[in-house]
Amino acid sequence: MKMLTRVALATTLAFALASGFGCAKKQVVTEPAPAPAQETIVIETGISEEQAAAAKAHAQQVITDTRVYFAFDKYDLSSEAKASLHEKAAIMKRYPSIRVLIAGNCDDRGTQEYNLALGERRARAALDYMVQLGVNPSQIEIISYGKERPLNDANTEAAWAKNRRDDFIVIR
Amino acid sequence: MKQTTFHFHRSLVLTIFLGVFFASLVSLMPLGHAAVQVDIFGPGQGRLNLAIAEPLTAIVDNPVAVGNSADDASMVSPSAMPKAPVANALGQKLNALITENMSFLPFIRMTDSRTILGGTVLQGYKAPYIDLRRFQIAGSDLVITAGWPDGDAEKSFVELRVYEVFSGKLVFGRAYSNVEESSLVSVADRFSADFMAALTGRGEFFSSTLAFVKQGSQKTSDVWLVKPTGRKLRKITDMGGQAMSPSWSFDGRFVVFAHMDDRTHALGVWDRITNRVQRIRFQGNTVIGPCFMPDNKVAVSLSLNSNPDIYLLNHKFQRERALEANSSINVSPSFDAEGKRMAFVSSRLGGPQIFMKDLTTGEIRRISKIGGYNTEPSISPDGTLVAFTKLTPQGHRIFVYDVLTDTERQVTFGPGRDEQPAFAPDSYFLAYTSNRSGQSQIYLVTRHGGDPKRVPTGSGPASTPRWGIFPE
Repeated sequence: MKMLTRVALATTLAFALASGFGCAKKQVVTEPAPAPAQETIVIETGISEEQAAAAKAHAQQVITDTRVYFAFDKYDLSSEAKASLHEKAAIMKRYPSIRVLIAGNCDDRGTQEYNLALGERRARAALDYMVQLGVNPSQIEIISYGKERPLNDANTEAAWAKNRRDDFIVIR
Repeated sequence: MKQTTFHFHRSLVLTIFLGVFFASLVSLMPLGHAAVQVDIFGPGQGRLNLAIAEPLTAIVDNPVAVGNSADDASMVSPSAMPKAPVANALGQKLNALITENMSFLPFIRMTDSRTILGGTVLQGYKAPYIDLRRFQIAGSDLVITAGWPDGDAEKSFVELRVYEVFSGKLVFGRAYSNVEESSLVSVADRFSADFMAALTGRGEFFSSTLAFVKQGSQKTSDVWLVKPTGRKLRKITDMGGQAMSPSWSFDGRFVVFAHMDDRTHALGVWDRITNRVQRIRFQGNTVIGPCFMPDNKVAVSLSLNSNPDIYLLNHKFQRERALEANSSINVSPSFDAEGKRMAFVSSRLGGPQIFMKDLTTGEIRRISKIGGYNTEPSISPDGTLVAFTKLTPQGHRIFVYDVLTDTERQVTFGPGRDEQPAFAPDSYFLAYTSNRSGQSQIYLVTRHGGDPKRVPTGSGPASTPRWGIFPE
């Protein structure tokens, strides 16, 4: 049904456009039919744009909502982390226009400069894994926040565990 | 036997002769420069007791009361001695600044002026008008005098002297002309630098300026400058984002630092001459712990491929070559004054440890051997020690590694977190960050440890002190 509507629309529009051009300028009459037909694709995209936007918003949510967590002074990816990265990678491959900033973070038990290095390795671990899964590297930027941007300031193991993480921020 | 006796007699005579000779030599020789010295690098530091006489605007030349030796002075009671007019304007302020400076020297104990019989208003500010006996009784080793012969209003002239109380010898004297209220701090610092140099051979403490980081609102922090005595506090960056890890160029012209905003890392460069800041980005978007080398080039950790490694930047802050690169984390370079040795942190053995690289031979050796988390090395400029931060069961503490003996020693003991040590140009003082008060602040200890002394830096958390010297 949908297909039929599309074909109908395309045909109607192609005809309308062709005749329109024909009326305006004589030489355009010689233009091949496929050119106006491309215009129908624009219309078709317009129709699904809302859906695409909704899907993209959902995709962004999947990318940003789940964080990846690490053990103390470690940057290797757990199986949970990998599963989460699989989901994110799938979405980024589906929407090649999405760009993501991966921010590596540490708990505050370590010292500043070493934590900046460790945060970089945490962000890069996620980057490398997603690229292995087929994500275009140009879709990803990384930054290390070190221990400078904790989610939880408490001095408890639970708080530290929450702070040893990668954040995923959609930048476009 | 006889011969032996003869020899005995001869040696006895020689001994007596030499004894008399040396005794007379000692009494003739003005004790002083060599007598009162402090070995700030050796073990078991002693303390010297220092008194400061009231600043005077004149000398009362009364021969009856003059007495510079204990015997002479005993003829007149101290309270009966004439007193010269006291300098109550700039004189008092300069004395207060000098007294405050002296409180930063762990080997100086100030003599309480209230314990000095007859008080600290003397007959004059130079020998022979100084009654040293009252300072002897109070247990002082040294006394500072200040004379303002033309009065102590603006643009005056001041003579500062240091005497050894026991011998009466002048340790040194300095005169400063055109002294104004605004130049008092400089006069106090220059005199204090000379004072410390006369006693220890090193006076850089008072001519140094610390660059450090002060936290503003949640995500912002800027680079500030302050004298280690807390004076001349000022902010040198205001660029939003977060400034970290400042480092002075050896010529005192630049401060480089790492700068981070929401999306990027960069190298910040502040130029003292133009008072401008540049922000330079690098491939890989990672800039950690920049540090100037003695030739004014910068070493910094960048992440070009897979992990942060240490690179050398040229004089235009462009990447020149790798100084230390492998598959592990390599950060926090620190150099001795010759630029021959680089201490740095590497995770090549698992957790972070301190390593030393000989930049001539390329040889690398591990120098932190105890504990699983050792970071933030700072080599003393003389190359003999490496201060670093060790994570102990009590929290982070500052340790000092001795290159010659291959041993380490704890120099700070909390409470709270002690971190980010930085050796002063004299290889004696150490500045570091501690949150012992509940908020990060900057403190001083020495290579031997001792009681932490806070560096006043105004309100707000302060951290990452780094030493520099520039001509003022």
